[in-house]
Amino acid sequence: MANHRVGETGLSDSGPSSQPVAYGVHGITPAATNFFDQEGAAYFGELEEALMQGVAGMRNDGDRKPFFTTRPPTLEIFPSWPMRFQQTPKCQQGNSQPAESTDSGSAQNTISQPDSESPGSVKASSEQSSEQQQQRMMAGDAPSAEAAAPNHQPKTQDNRRVAGSTAEKDGKILDAKSLRRLAQNREAARKSRLRKKAYIQQLESSRIKLTQLEQDLQRARSQGLFLGGGGAGGNISSAAAVFDMEYGRWLDENYRHMTDLREGLQAHLSDGDLRVIVDECLAHYDEIFRVKGVAAKSDVLHLITGMWTTPAERCFLWMGGFRPSELLKILIPQMDPLTEQQLVGICSLQQSSQQAEEALSQGLEQLHQSLGDAVASGSLSEGTDVGNYMGQIAIALGKLADLEGFVRQADNMRQQTLHQTRRILTVRQAARCFLAIGEYNSRLRALSSLWASRPRDVCNRNLIADESACPATTDLQIIHQPVHSHFSGF
Amino acid sequence: MQYQAAESWGAAYAAMGGRADPLERVERLAAESAVVIFSVSTCCMCHAVKRLFCGMGVSPTVYELDEDPRGKEMERALARLLGGGPPAVPVVFIGGKLVGAMDRVMASHINGTLVPLLKEAGALWL
Repeated sequence: MANHRVGETGLSDSGPSSQPVAYGVHGITPAATNFFDQEGAAYFGELEEALMQGVAGMRNDGDRKPFFTTRPPTLEIFPSWPMRFQQTPKCQQGNSQPAESTDSGSAQNTISQPDSESPGSVKASSEQSSEQQQQRMMAGDAPSAEAAAPNHQPKTQDNRRVAGSTAEKDGKILDAKSLRRLAQNREAARKSRLRKKAYIQQLESSRIKLTQLEQDLQRARSQGLFLGGGGAGGNISSAAAVFDMEYGRWLDENYRHMTDLREGLQAHLSDGDLRVIVDECLAHYDEIFRVKGVAAKSDVLHLITGMWTTPAERCFLWMGGFRPSELLKILIPQMDPLTEQQLVGICSLQQSSQQAEEALSQGLEQLHQSLGDAVASGSLSEGTDVGNYMGQIAIALGKLADLEGFVRQADNMRQQTLHQTRRILTVRQAARCFLAIGEYNSRLRALSSLWASRPRDVCNRNLIADESACPATTDLQIIHQPVHSHFSGF
Repeated sequence: MQYQAAESWGAAYAAMGGRADPLERVERLAAESAVVIFSVSTCCMCHAVKRLFCGMGVSPTVYELDEDPRGKEMERALARLLGGGPPAVPVVFIGGKLVGAMDRVMASHINGTLVPLLKEAGALWL
């Protein structure tokens, strides 16, 4: 690339004084700018140094080899910068400038330099050189170079000392195009530096999140399956642990939706506003069904045994979740008043879900049958026939895999039931309906925690009397505790 | 529920006079009855879908693909039709038109579109 050539040639020439040369910068194409982006700021920094050295090294008295090896024979390719600009610097050749300039400053200053320009602060030299530019440059190019100047000002703060380069004050010719390109390159470098910074910050925060997640996972594993598993201990699969965690998060989010619904109803929001909340709530249910679908692929037994729910919910568990017809039975009294048409719709929905549940249950029963047959095949009391055994094990594994299909169909049915309910009801009714579902499950969870914390100590109570004892005051206090952190059988 | 026996398949096969594209065969068989289920005898989900229709009082025509000599091809054709991988069964056709696999059948039953479809095809009266 042209830039490489620049660097190489430039490095070979070093010296304090410089003769600015018309870059003939056809070498610096837009592709080069992309190149800068890709390689990053560090490379660009080196490159700019090299560039400046190259610029610094140029003598325009014809003794030196050309700056660009493919430099055109004549330099009069930019008519707005007539050749006479090259001549005038000659008389200023005596000026030797210390290597004070930064990238931007030197490029800026190579335009045209007065004798009196001080080599001190780059900013001053930039400003002075821009003054010179106004004097020397053609009208057409002056604005562009000046426009380039403000871009350079922030860059000068970087204060990258370029060894061996000068402030380029001997009237080096740099046309407006190359100035612009240099400015763009610098901008690109700056942007890529910023991007790199942002990326690193992102990586850092991701790393922190990852360690937090790992800690959560560890905690989940050590605690067994939250309230559910009891003695199962550390035998939880990673997919199950992940699902438990996601479910916990889903519950927290669900609690927020319930609050929104409650407040929305109490505030008597308009139907439009309430609809937004209700639809959000429904979409949230869609989310848990999606998550369950993913978990079913890796650990369907975890779902179907309900180890992710609380004990009381597990009582009612049907195929890894709630039974839609049962839920509807609970909800219908809560939906009052219903129109005739709505009542018909809800009742037929209840009937269809009952039929579907029945069908799935019978399919599951057949699956149990074949699974049991496969496991029990051959003789159980005498030695096993290995060949047959392996075949039967394969069948049994296949049946277990079929379980995933059933849980998926059951979840599909639950999702469809919720959607159909939403369709039948008005916005307000649907809001109350979803609130009712949430409240019902909260109560089940509360029941579970009450059950888990019921007094079982031997010292203070007669064990036999315990069976019929009234709940102790401690139990009553527990009722009032927030229970949304527990799980429901969804 | 009517199960198509292998002999009648053979007869139909001979009557057609040779090889037919499996998908064509599927569609032809599907058009012959109001409710057609393509199934595999050992598949539990197929059992579930059969129970569903029987529970509604419908009498579907069932083709057990594992008992048909060309069942494998038809299963593949059905899988392609549904645009998914295995298992391709159960697949339900009502009134000669494809309804789909179990999830589509369940969804249409829950949202109330299955019963009108059955009535239209003459599989259900009431």
